[in-house]
Amino acid sequence: MFFYYLDLACRSIKKTPFLSVLMVLAISIGIGITITTLNIYKMASVNPAGERSDKLFAVQLWSQGEDSWDEFNPQITYQDSFNLRRGDIPVRQTPMFRTGGAIQTDNPDLAPILEGVRVTDSDFFSLFSVPFLYGQAWDKSVDQQAKYEVVINADLNQQLFGGENSVGRTLYINRKPYKVVGVVDHWSPKPKYYDVNNGAFNDSEQVFVPFSLTPIEEYQSWGNNQGWKHEDTRTVAAKIVSEQHWLQYWVELKDQHDVELYTAWVRSYIEQQQAPGRFNSPNADVQIMDVADWLIENQVVAEDNKVLVGLSALFLVVCLVNMLGLLLAKFLKRAPEVGVRRAIGASRAQIFSQHMVEVGLIGFCGGIIGLLWAWGALSLLAAKFELEQALTSLDMSMWLVAPTIAISAALVAGIYPAWRVCSTNPSIYLKSQ
Amino acid sequence: MLSMKNINKVFKTDLVETHALRDFNLEVKEGEFVAVTGPSGSGKTTFLNIAGLLEGFTNGDYFLDGVNISNLSDNKSAAIRNEKIGFIFQGFNLIPDLNLAENVEVPLRYRGFSRSERDKRVKQALEQVGLGARMKHLPAQLSGGQQQRVAIARALAGEPRFLLADEPTGNLDSMMARQVMELLEDINKAGTTIIMVTHDPELARRAQRNIQIVDGQVCDFTMYQGGQPQLVSDNVQAVS
Repeated sequence: MFFYYLDLACRSIKKTPFLSVLMVLAISIGIGITITTLNIYKMASVNPAGERSDKLFAVQLWSQGEDSWDEFNPQITYQDSFNLRRGDIPVRQTPMFRTGGAIQTDNPDLAPILEGVRVTDSDFFSLFSVPFLYGQAWDKSVDQQAKYEVVINADLNQQLFGGENSVGRTLYINRKPYKVVGVVDHWSPKPKYYDVNNGAFNDSEQVFVPFSLTPIEEYQSWGNNQGWKHEDTRTVAAKIVSEQHWLQYWVELKDQHDVELYTAWVRSYIEQQQAPGRFNSPNADVQIMDVADWLIENQVVAEDNKVLVGLSALFLVVCLVNMLGLLLAKFLKRAPEVGVRRAIGASRAQIFSQHMVEVGLIGFCGGIIGLLWAWGALSLLAAKFELEQALTSLDMSMWLVAPTIAISAALVAGIYPAWRVCSTNPSIYLKSQ
Repeated sequence: MLSMKNINKVFKTDLVETHALRDFNLEVKEGEFVAVTGPSGSGKTTFLNIAGLLEGFTNGDYFLDGVNISNLSDNKSAAIRNEKIGFIFQGFNLIPDLNLAENVEVPLRYRGFSRSERDKRVKQALEQVGLGARMKHLPAQLSGGQQQRVAIARALAGEPRFLLADEPTGNLDSMMARQVMELLEDINKAGTTIIMVTHDPELARRAQRNIQIVDGQVCDFTMYQGGQPQLVSDNVQAVS
């Protein structure tokens, strides 16, 4: 019977094209707005660490003095990063920060490219499951004995070396030669959870260099630098020994037991640091958070987004109320035909189903058109407001979500009109037709 | 075949109670052709709606083909209407967007027949009413008499035991009315029980039995071809 009802629905839609277009428009606009906000919300809410989310932890230290920040800072100081690297409880760990520089090769035809550079340890790549196209991360020994080695992303490799295996080739960062040891295979997690301070939805850096080169090369921080007391940090050398927070620190811990062990170990480190006068706040402590909590803590998904999704859902409800009115008018106009169908053997349930299939079809059309609205709206947002592409690209799941929401919403709106028409007394219309 | 005992139908509003049928008693045997007459507002249509399970009744007993109709679920009522009852209406009540074959097919769809069975029955029913060649026409392309014949074909397609006709010739001219009446007589001769509401005394006389309803009560007369009506009810009401 479903296909019979579908056939009747198509005929009914063709019979009243204006009313049908109005209903499809009503629901499509509601769906378009809902899907637009939902898409942004969903893209912002993705946990890019996947299954490893509960194994990776951001480390925060309350190293600020009294009468300073009243919460943990998302970043830590260089000296704490340097010291925490000595811990042997984490399976992997890495300090990091964002810098940048002019990138060149031996090719004189290639103009220097200004690129963001991530300064980190070799564990970074395995800790965040970074895939390699060619080569690998620099050796772990480089984390202690600095070497001018570099890992680049596939896009940059394409630009600099035409996409070929560039392992062993040389590139220059701020005119210093670095040997390419690995090429990352198009890796750019969204949100960029490992460093939400520098634009949670920005692309990953194209260049990665050893952390051990920091004091030698005196890389400038291109990220947030937060201080809680007056210090002269104009030089990198001064900044390295300062109390300024400008590095991110991540560890990989096996299980809850290791989380507790590591927390205790860091607390003992804090106690040691209190002797020379650091960590003198009564709140001095460590806080470690897995990826999911980290994204919430840093409000990667802004509260406004949730409100926006709620508002768009309310707008969809308004569209559905309009649709309900139109459906009621359309269905009740058809009551005489329903009377005939009832008289010749259709049950209420069959009449109800027939009308719900029609409503579902309208909802489906509304969903598809709504998806096109959403795609247009996202493109407009990307073009006019320069929102990150990660947020404005239409997620594939929306091709399923939009029709599902549209059909479900339309069915809800259709229940009352369909019930009204199937529960009318057929005999009234049989005589009067 | 059809047995109604002490059927009452009361329409209630806040202020008034209207008795559409009052202690209504009727027996119709299988194969009968019964004409129902009566003044406007006497309860003819209410009787037909109750007989066709389109309306419930306030109290009383109604048996159709041995089945007690009181308190049947909507699904059961629909199934009985579909399988045992055929309806013919004064206004034809064809669905304007469906062609003749699709109109005739509607009750067969609800009964769940296969496509081949539906096609066979539709063809057979339309040929029976002389419209086998116009299966793809829309109702609007036919005359009133032809539309009524399609309605009869729709009623016949399900091979009902029992046809309910509500002024089937009311919207037709005399020639078409005669043709439709002849068709109904043929159907009755083939064994289908027919109850026909009519205002036309000539048509009523062609039925085997004539029932007059007045003020929601039945006056039962047997009519014999060519003779005078013989009163069989104690409820004495003359038939014109």
